[in-house]
Amino acid sequence: MARVKYRFNTPAGKVFDVVNAAVLIGVGAIAILPFLYVLAGSFATEYELTTRPFFLWPNEFTTDAYASILGSSVFVRAFITTIAVTAVGTTVQLVLTALMAYPLSKIDLPGRRTIMSLVVFTMVFSAGLIPTFLIVKQLGLLDTYWALILPAAINPFSLIIIKNFFQELPKELEESAKIDGANELRILRSVVMPLSKPVLATFALFYAVGIWNDYMSPLIYLNDTSKWTLQMFLRQVTAASSLTAEDLGNELPPPAQGIKFAVVMVATIPVLLAYPFLQKHFAKGMLIGSVKG
Amino acid sequence: MTTRKRLRAPLAILTVTGLALTAACTSGGDDGDGDGGGDGGGDALSSLSIMAPYFAAVPPEEDDPIDLALSELTGVDLSVQWVPNTDYGERTNVVLAGDDIPDVMVMGKTPAFVQTAEAGGFWELTDYLNSGDYPNLVSENPEVQEATSVNGHVYGVYRSRDVIRHCIILRADWLANLGLEQPQTTDELFEVARAFTEDDPDGNGQDDTYGFINPAWPGSIGSGSPYDALELWNGAGNVWLEDGGELVPSFTTDEWMEALEYERDLVQNGYTNPDYATMDPATWNEPFLNGQGGIIIDVQSRAPQLVELFREQDPANAESYVALVGQPEGPHGTFAMPTAGYSNFLAIPRSSVETEEQLEQVLQVLNDMNSTEAQILLNNGIEGDNFTVEDDYAVYNEDRQDFTDQVSGAWAQLGTNVAGYNAYSTQPATPYDEELAQLRLDLQAEDLENAVFNPAAALASETYQSSGTQLDTLISDARIQFIAGQIDEAGVQDVIDRWHSQGGDQVIAELNELYSELG
Amino acid sequence: MATLIEAEAASGGADITPRPQNRRNVRETIVRYRWLLFLMLPGITYFALFRFWPMYGAQIAWRDYIPFLGIQGSEWVGWKHFEDFFTNPDFPRLLGNTLILAALSLFIAFPLTIVMALLLNELRLNILKRTVQTLVYVPHFLSWTVVVSLTGLLFAIGNGPLWTWLNDLMGTEINFLADPAWFRPLIVLQDVWKNTGWGTIIFLAALASVDQEQYEAAIIDGAGRWQRVWHITLPSIRSTIIVLLILQTGQILNTGFEQIYLMSNALNRSVADVFDTYVYFVGIQQGSYSYATAVGLAKAIVGVILIFGTNWIAKRFNQTGIF
Repeated sequence: MARVKYRFNTPAGKVFDVVNAAVLIGVGAIAILPFLYVLAGSFATEYELTTRPFFLWPNEFTTDAYASILGSSVFVRAFITTIAVTAVGTTVQLVLTALMAYPLSKIDLPGRRTIMSLVVFTMVFSAGLIPTFLIVKQLGLLDTYWALILPAAINPFSLIIIKNFFQELPKELEESAKIDGANELRILRSVVMPLSKPVLATFALFYAVGIWNDYMSPLIYLNDTSKWTLQMFLRQVTAASSLTAEDLGNELPPPAQGIKFAVVMVATIPVLLAYPFLQKHFAKGMLIGSVKG
Repeated sequence: MTTRKRLRAPLAILTVTGLALTAACTSGGDDGDGDGGGDGGGDALSSLSIMAPYFAAVPPEEDDPIDLALSELTGVDLSVQWVPNTDYGERTNVVLAGDDIPDVMVMGKTPAFVQTAEAGGFWELTDYLNSGDYPNLVSENPEVQEATSVNGHVYGVYRSRDVIRHCIILRADWLANLGLEQPQTTDELFEVARAFTEDDPDGNGQDDTYGFINPAWPGSIGSGSPYDALELWNGAGNVWLEDGGELVPSFTTDEWMEALEYERDLVQNGYTNPDYATMDPATWNEPFLNGQGGIIIDVQSRAPQLVELFREQDPANAESYVALVGQPEGPHGTFAMPTAGYSNFLAIPRSSVETEEQLEQVLQVLNDMNSTEAQILLNNGIEGDNFTVEDDYAVYNEDRQDFTDQVSGAWAQLGTNVAGYNAYSTQPATPYDEELAQLRLDLQAEDLENAVFNPAAALASETYQSSGTQLDTLISDARIQFIAGQIDEAGVQDVIDRWHSQGGDQVIAELNELYSELG
Repeated sequence: MATLIEAEAASGGADITPRPQNRRNVRETIVRYRWLLFLMLPGITYFALFRFWPMYGAQIAWRDYIPFLGIQGSEWVGWKHFEDFFTNPDFPRLLGNTLILAALSLFIAFPLTIVMALLLNELRLNILKRTVQTLVYVPHFLSWTVVVSLTGLLFAIGNGPLWTWLNDLMGTEINFLADPAWFRPLIVLQDVWKNTGWGTIIFLAALASVDQEQYEAAIIDGAGRWQRVWHITLPSIRSTIIVLLILQTGQILNTGFEQIYLMSNALNRSVADVFDTYVYFVGIQQGSYSYATAVGLAKAIVGVILIFGTNWIAKRFNQTGIF
């Protein structure tokens, strides 16, 4: 179909295409430049960072910052832990959300309005840290990885959006599946979910990023330092300012700027890498076309 | 489309999540035997849990050699819950709401702590500490111990810090270029700031320098900012001032207003960095290193940091850049700014340490943890492993740097040193470093004699607990707005009036009542 | 079985929830919806356990909560915290600042996200499209701390690259970071920079579901570029736009804390103080969880009213609501 589009492009359309491409390349550059500075800074010496205002390539190249982060076995362990928790957590959260979103997308489901109202209420009002902590504790989830996954298992926002996508799917396929004798679970599994790949991929990403960046849950729920996730160690480096060192008494110098930048990179790049894998699902829109075809 | 696929996969997932949930629910019962629970009842403690912040990149783990050595030294199984310093306060609140509270917690005198202590959440230690039963916990500095108290009630063993830390750091090479002496008075300091701005101290023929480097200060008033220092030097007192037996806020004095004019002139004449209201304190060293600014009012430990950075830049002349000067004399006398003298304290929650016998046992452990032997473990590490002793100095083994970092960034946080610091100091790397270290000690001794303490440090006013942050911010914002030329003296007065009417009057009344009670 | 399914399918379009008349009907409803109800079970359990059960803790809004004393043990003070909040002399200013920032986000950042998604959708070169998509979503992963310190670097007086460029452009020296007039533009700028690319993801997911045959048919009918966007692309994401809009109105009093806190300073505080920063000072720094909870509840009630209100309006105009 790309061929069809090109064949019928008008001169004005061609101008638009060029301008559009130029504008978006510009926008992409603006988006990435500060990030590239952080990347360059993570390979620069402390002296260069304090004396040069902004640069995209360090004069003197050093990997000391990365060596000091990645050299520690604790970081490697935390890294693996975080990847595992993120993978399992994303799956659990996405499945739970989809399972709840599907029935709610049926507008004749009794009690649907009530449930939706309650869900909306939880979106604007959360009970707060301490009561949630007490529940997690009562459920015996303290010091388990489930404490990082289950309390945030269904995001009301994600639930509502996914529900709406399900609701908009053409009814024909579901109905023909029903006539074939499929039950709801099977329809969800083999009709609705495949058709909703783009939105499910999107929210898989949202959930994954949420778990990956979560700092509060491990801080509150995990006593055992051997279970800690990456963010617990990274935040300590990035959030410490030169002034907090005053509490120390024994004059430990503040973390170097280069290490802070390297930490930002270590924390960011793995999730960035996840995106292209999910991106391919965004192009699968033709599925709906097959419904009618 | 494959609508005929079997249902195994989704069912499996459902079962797994269902199992997870039920497993979660059923395992709730056997949670009670955590660290805190085992200490319940009136039995003697066999283990002691301590919650403490850490600054290091990575906290020590359970099998840490220091942990083992301390456990052996104190005779109890010591377990430390390390919490990243950045969010320590958040964690303590949550822990206090639960029911397995550690036996000892590092706490600060925050409103939350005062509330909890006054509600009976922590043991009052005043009599125990003064009894002399715990010789290593008898403070060498009773004023500091008094300052850690809540209206005279001491709730913790404080972690001792240098009482004098503030100083003036100047570009020594600029002083030399201009033939200036080190400033000894605030007027001379002003003159140096002028010369650093107008007289081309770097000799490059361009008007590209200024005197003072002030960052945007994260705290409000009385938080050790350069402004607080200048005001105190001018005789405005330390946050509160005793005037005829009454406590009055510093910022209501004429000396304070005078100091504000001094600060304003520094800014309006261009003798201060133009981004003083917004500069990130993390970048404080940069203008000094880059030769843009030449005066920093901050703690002494910034000086060796700067020397290190100059060593990277210009190893040959690194020792000629930094001048460290003691606190100057003001027009109304000589006053020096002290720190609080402590940074948080080790408090003992009553819900985990239930009986007096247990309390005495915990205090004995803390006493043992402040012996010379324990101080060396907490501050230096393990002799022969990560350091050796030469000439009474600790010399660290570079191969064990990670471990040393954990000692100084984590274990040292358990040290109180209230009866004096007996561990080894780090051996200075060069004669210059040794000189600098000695200079710092001399300046500390000199300034200590003129130190002006906050007379209200120990007093906890109820109104201040509930609205102090907002009240203080009113004043520190007005200060910057005045310096920036946005409001005049009458404008500052308006803000001070607002401070009075929005709760300040109650704070004054409550503090004075407490002050007269404590005598 | 077959008849049951057919009946269910037939009632699929009905908007009115069937109300069970008697016990037999209740049983019938349960049997009829057993699969759907079964699917919802884990979700309902989740909301009950982790979202509603902790809400008993909201009662601390009427107490002087001290964690150590527990919820029941803390003193009951009635409406004190609510009164303190609403009678606070700064309340009108906080409300004003909050609403202005929310409006800027709603009228600038939100439409920009849609425009960006549409422009991305119009890119013909697939490789370019994917690359730009990836680039614009990168800023989302930098924390506010990093974004704010990068802003400080770029706008630094004297040597910040953006400061230098803008001052040459305008001919005057402006202290962007301290000038109250520049506070809101900077906040919006940061927000747009950090979140626009990320926000497009939902729209791109919606666009991915558009039937490509429609475009081909439109082209054959001679529809131009703009007509295709107007008649096919936009309608296909209309319901997503409306749902996001409704949800965002519920967040109108939540400006977020971190970004604003980090960007505020003594000189711009008059425009920078919002509810979220205020609650931080009063609730967190001064240790009053009760006050923070009371403000949270008050904000939540406003949020619920706004969501239900906008949802109702959307329905009136025959659009999809969120219910």
